[in-house]
Amino acid sequence: MTPPDPLTALGSVEPPMPDVLDAAREALWSAITHEMLTKDPSAGQTTRTTDPAAGQTARHPSPEPRVRRQRSGPPDPGT
Amino acid sequence: MRVERETDGTLIERSARGRPDAFVEVVRRHEVAVHGFLARRAGRQVAADLLGEVWVRAFAGRDGYDPAYADARPWLFGIARNVLRAHWRARPEAGPASDRAEDPWDEVIDRLDSAGRAHALTAAIGALPPAERDVLLLVAWEQLTPAQAAVALGVPPGTARSRLHRARAALRLVLAEEKA
Repeated sequence: MTPPDPLTALGSVEPPMPDVLDAAREALWSAITHEMLTKDPSAGQTTRTTDPAAGQTARHPSPEPRVRRQRSGPPDPGT
Repeated sequence: MRVERETDGTLIERSARGRPDAFVEVVRRHEVAVHGFLARRAGRQVAADLLGEVWVRAFAGRDGYDPAYADARPWLFGIARNVLRAHWRARPEAGPASDRAEDPWDEVIDRLDSAGRAHALTAAIGALPPAERDVLLLVAWEQLTPAQAAVALGVPPGTARSRLHRARAALRLVLAEEKA
């Protein structure tokens, strides 16, 4: 087996403990649950607005049909 | 019979179209890698603290993801990088806003040194311009291609390739001088 080059070896870290991954997924499930509970099924579609207090994007029902953004470039991780 | 695995792009699109729980499978595929990205730069404790924030931000931003990109890992690394920078900027010990480093590489060196890692190499990486270091480490540590690193950093692929070339050349030079 070929040993890793020094640069790759420099970046080696132990894998996370399962409880670390579970806790992080828990945060995601909270966001999923929140979205499922707050989405109005009669509206069928949603648009996004920014919640400045949370610093994240929140969904709100909208009677307007949602138009998915047409992208010509790679996914944007934001800033 | 071989069952084709759905791409991350397909899962993300489905999660944005009425099945938000489909996003969990994307997270399961990349959680160890994204934790590693955070841990290499900020230590395991900070990685544990920030991982959930990465998933929440990615979930909130999934509507803008182009499902034609089958592998979401570069995008997730980009989000993890933004979460890390926000974390570094917000630390009280970082000083006045104008002085705050977004990439406190000295701390990374200290951590690697305390783990007994090669000092000359860490110092050489630390001497690189941050933009070049970002590309180099995404390729060397996270196993991305230069094109994928470009997605993570939000720069054109040609820019990522030229930064990588310069970083590797600088690293070779420093290490050759060290050896001489």
